Amino acid sequence: MRLLSILVAETVKSHQHNFHNKLIYFSLLIWPALLFVTAYYSFKPFNLSDSSPLFAYMDVDQIPMFLLTGYLGYIFFWSLVQSAWGMSYERQAGTLELIFLTPVSRIVVMFSRAAGNLLEAVWLFTGFTLIVLVVTGNAGDIHWWNVPLGLLILSVSAIVWGGFLNIVFLFSRDAGILFTIFEEPMQFFSGVRIPVLAFPVWGKMIALIFPLTYVLEIFRDLVLNGKGLVELAEPFIVLFGVLAFLTIVSIFLLKKAETHAKETGNMVLF
Amino acid sequence: MVMIEAMNLGKVYTVKKKINFFRSEKQKVSAVKGLNLTIGEGEIVGLLGLNGAGKTTTIKMLSTLLNPSSGKITIDGLDAVKDAIKVKRLVNMIAGGERMLYWRLTGTQNLRYFGKLYGLSGGELEERIHDLLEEVGLTEASHTPVELYSKGMKQRLQIARGLINDPKYLFLDEPTLGLDAPVAKQLREMVKRLAKEQGKGILLTSHYLEEVEELCDRVYIIEKGSLILHDTPENITASVVKNYHIKIESSALSTFQQNRIKQGLSGCSIEFSELGDSTEMHIIAPFDPTALIINVCMKESIAIQKLELKRPRLEDAILTLAKGKLA
Repeated sequence: MRLLSILVAETVKSHQHNFHNKLIYFSLLIWPALLFVTAYYSFKPFNLSDSSPLFAYMDVDQIPMFLLTGYLGYIFFWSLVQSAWGMSYERQAGTLELIFLTPVSRIVVMFSRAAGNLLEAVWLFTGFTLIVLVVTGNAGDIHWWNVPLGLLILSVSAIVWGGFLNIVFLFSRDAGILFTIFEEPMQFFSGVRIPVLAFPVWGKMIALIFPLTYVLEIFRDLVLNGKGLVELAEPFIVLFGVLAFLTIVSIFLLKKAETHAKETGNMVLF
Repeated sequence: MVMIEAMNLGKVYTVKKKINFFRSEKQKVSAVKGLNLTIGEGEIVGLLGLNGAGKTTTIKMLSTLLNPSSGKITIDGLDAVKDAIKVKRLVNMIAGGERMLYWRLTGTQNLRYFGKLYGLSGGELEERIHDLLEEVGLTEASHTPVELYSKGMKQRLQIARGLINDPKYLFLDEPTLGLDAPVAKQLREMVKRLAKEQGKGILLTSHYLEEVEELCDRVYIIEKGSLILHDTPENITASVVKNYHIKIESSALSTFQQNRIKQGLSGCSIEFSELGDSTEMHIIAPFDPTALIINVCMKESIAIQKLELKRPRLEDAILTLAKGKLA
């Protein structure tokens, strides 16, 4: 009950704070849609027949679906990088210190903040994706009964990721470097546009760093390839391991961050 | 008796001093040293000191935002470090200025968010928000975004935010900073009510010393983190400032009359200045010389046109202390 109350409070605060101007819909829909269209047309000039080098790693007829699911996953994860960036505002406004003045569970606030922001940030592009599927006649390629499970896995993974990033931003006012690290590299190496299998070994190693890589693999297998839970047991275990690791690290870092702030008073520095 | 008790409180910050691009050196800076402090229920306690004296650090330690490097804080018997979460339910902090609010949210939305962080919900929360907004006079502006509030309105909302958990102890760090006189007066009255009617223990820091003198039952004066004086405002003033100042405007005085006044007020410093057809006397005395000077004037048939007695104030005490420290 308490968790739900904090989740609602964070969602409402995020909505009231961020949806102040209609331009927000530009970044929620137009921007990701443009990313998808740009990526799709950047494939067009190349050989996409059976003799394409990509053919070894994916069904080239599925490129639009591959990109659409890739960008859907990317928007889930990227929106939470942006949300974590908003912690700088909380620091500057002094509200971050006020949150820590209250007896609320810090871990609940950090993950609720991620969940609230996720809900706000992805509903429009998720709706857009569904409309594109219907309008382009690709709805038949989707294994719809797996979609709810796919979206659930995507959401839970993104929330764990977002909570982790929020906590990282507690440590430093200069965590903006994460923005640089996670924008283009996460988009490229997580397999949003190109299958990870197509990367050289060093690229595959980098891909392992991003949780989005594991999530996209499962999401595509569920939604595009119609695989079941039994077939996906191994990637599920790996993903669960990654998320458990991120959660444990988050709890550890949060304690460290609060202890550090209580020693240095850095929560008000900006 | 339940209360806040800080014993031998100390805070040392480690700051990095940059030597060059590659190297930096760690330095220890003592912000608070061996401070003993108590705040009882219904009591307003002042914490005074020059900038950098350690006031805000002390408030943050009491409110659990900072851990002391040494000493112990107990709040109603709870250890402020070990039982921090329980202590957070008992205290709240309000700082002056316009930060610490979500500007795009309305007053009600701000209070609702913070109320939920304190575990309040439903009718109880809505009722408290309604009562607090009424108490601080923001009912009409309750659905207006904070960014459209005046400075005074933001400060009043801060007070409401600080009371959302109905704290037993409230820490006010410069609460009237930059406010107009009428708004500051309203806030002072509210602080008095909170202490005297609701029994809240309040710690107040302020650079407006008249405010401290008016509100505080006891005052702690700290200098570079150490306690230098602790008493009631009246006792501090009496112990630090020994001089009374009297300014008298009278009919023009002859040299003879001036000498008679000097004889009658031995032990006092007197300066005369001519103001056309009148004379101004400035008397500094280690006692209240009003009766004496009136007596002398009557004897010498000197007509007093204006008499201004300046009693020693807390501000004079602080200035005297500061002068002593800076000299």
